[in-house]
Amino acid sequence: MSQLYDLKLQIEEKIKTSGLDPKDVKGKLGLRSGMLLALIHPTTPDNPEAIAKLKQAVKEVMHVSL
Amino acid sequence: MKWNSIRTKVLAALLACLVVGVAGILMLMRYSFERNAQVLATESVNGAERLFSILEAREISKMTAVSDVLLTNPQIRDAFAAKDRERLSELTASLYPQLKTEGITNWMFHTPEPNMVVFLRLHNPSKFGDALNRFLDKEVSRTHALVSGNELAKAGFAVRMIRPFHDSKGEVTGYIEYGEELGQFIHAMKSQTGDDYGLLLSKKYVDREFWADSAAAWKRRDNWNDNPSFVVADKTSDSESIISFDGELAGVPASGMVLERYQKGDAIFVRGLFPIQDAAGTTVGAMFVVRDISSFYLAMRRTQTILIVTLVAVLAIGILLVLSLLTGLVFRRLERIIVVATRVVGGDYETEIRVSSDDEVGQFERLFEQFRRVFVDVLAHVPELQEKR
Repeated sequence: MSQLYDLKLQIEEKIKTSGLDPKDVKGKLGLRSGMLLALIHPTTPDNPEAIAKLKQAVKEVMHVSL
Repeated sequence: MKWNSIRTKVLAALLACLVVGVAGILMLMRYSFERNAQVLATESVNGAERLFSILEAREISKMTAVSDVLLTNPQIRDAFAAKDRERLSELTASLYPQLKTEGITNWMFHTPEPNMVVFLRLHNPSKFGDALNRFLDKEVSRTHALVSGNELAKAGFAVRMIRPFHDSKGEVTGYIEYGEELGQFIHAMKSQTGDDYGLLLSKKYVDREFWADSAAAWKRRDNWNDNPSFVVADKTSDSESIISFDGELAGVPASGMVLERYQKGDAIFVRGLFPIQDAAGTTVGAMFVVRDISSFYLAMRRTQTILIVTLVAVLAIGILLVLSLLTGLVFRRLERIIVVATRVVGGDYETEIRVSSDDEVGQFERLFEQFRRVFVDVLAHVPELQEKR
């Protein structure tokens, strides 16, 4: 399992516990990071730049650090 | 509020319009007030000048009418023709107090040419035999017809009327003269208009000694040294400021001039003066006029306030209208597109963008909905998503 996919799972967990609208939050994360969360799967190769962008997006949209 | 949003920029532009509009109206109102105040001030001076002329003409008519009556009295005619001073005085003396109550202060009989001396002075019977040699005397002698006008003499500045007196054969036996002090005009003018007036005489035409004697006789303060070039003959206000003037009376234009607008307490006044000429056309004095324009000023202020409040209200309503139109027609629909676009990226492939109108934003909504469908169709062919859908 790639780190990117693991990050995606953590995000989905956070969304679930936060009670926020999942489609809206995922949309904002996707637009900010420049990637579709739906396209991240276990075999997606790790990309440090993509991971950093996604973490930054999470910080800006959900105000949490992963 | 986002400072770089269109809404903020539009609001800022509209508020700027509001400020500029109010400032513009204020400037216009100020200009209008200044102009109207100037017109009112000019009208006050011109009105006072007209009123003075009317009073002058009325008094000349009155003196002429009185002299007409005397001319038809055979006893007076014969007494004057016979140069019987005692008899003439006996016949006329009782009339003088009555005429004085009507404003006639001077009444004289003059002998004919060549001497043309004062034969009888009803207002000062003990003094006679002096030759006055004034402009009006020379004119009546030259024309043998009624002449009238203002004349500054030792006895003061008065409007006078002098005309020939004839005997039963129609020969000129002398002249009769009436005069009224101009100083009393300003009190009549004040009672009619409520404005304040001051009558000034140029020192060039007033005898210093006589002025001092006259002040003593009338128990008035000798004001000769109060001003360098003129003396105040009379005024309707105790205030000295109404007759403040630095220029030369001879330089005052015939139509008069406005000197200033000033505030005293809560009241606003305008002050001006117009020249007074003697019968020879020489400017020997001037009359000050002070008018209270507070009511006009307050009315202008009230109009100004109403205009500003109305303008601010209209512009505020305009701003609200423009902002609500922009919100309904543009901002809210753009926000809806953003929400749907965000949700599509988040995996909501069902929510559509509703095209609400065929306007510019509607065309964008249609375009974006078409784009959304293409995007969803593309995603539908991504293998990783097919099993999830």
